[in-house]
Amino acid sequence: MELADRAVGLLLTLTSLSIFTYYTFWVIILPFVDSDHFIQQYFLPQEYAILIPVFAGVVLLCFLCIFIGSVMLKSKKKKA
Amino acid sequence: MKHIIKIITLLVAISAFWIGLLQASVIPSSHTWLLPIYFIVSLGCYGLLMVGVGLMRFPTCPQEALLLQQDIVEAKDFLKQKGVDVGGSD
Repeated sequence: MELADRAVGLLLTLTSLSIFTYYTFWVIILPFVDSDHFIQQYFLPQEYAILIPVFAGVVLLCFLCIFIGSVMLKSKKKKA
Repeated sequence: MKHIIKIITLLVAISAFWIGLLQASVIPSSHTWLLPIYFIVSLGCYGLLMVGVGLMRFPTCPQEALLLQQDIVEAKDFLKQKGVDVGGSD
């Protein structure tokens, strides 16, 4: 159990670090690189740098709302 | 209360820097508009990182659990001597 927790923690850390590194490259460094540089082919166009986080945030918010709603419904059922 | 003042100061400084960048237009504005989203994404990454690190080095203390069990047994004995019904007399 403890080992699984540790593995999940390591996975979360690695995920967040990789997302941060990739996004930093994408947003901060890429505007200063020539548009015909070979590294440009590893990154999506700039519009997606806005679209993907907004989409992810909306999905997260929906998930949170559904979770809270289901918990409230469950507690109500238990009380009755 | 002091912590929130620090956070608000940091936010004001960052937004002032961002507005300055927008006004000065040193870099194209389409890239300057990305910076708040970059800030939010980095905040989310920081939160995820803290959760991961906290999960990785979650402190467990088996000695303390053993001591607690001993304490419970001791307290149950003591209460039984005094004639208190502890319940769950195992």
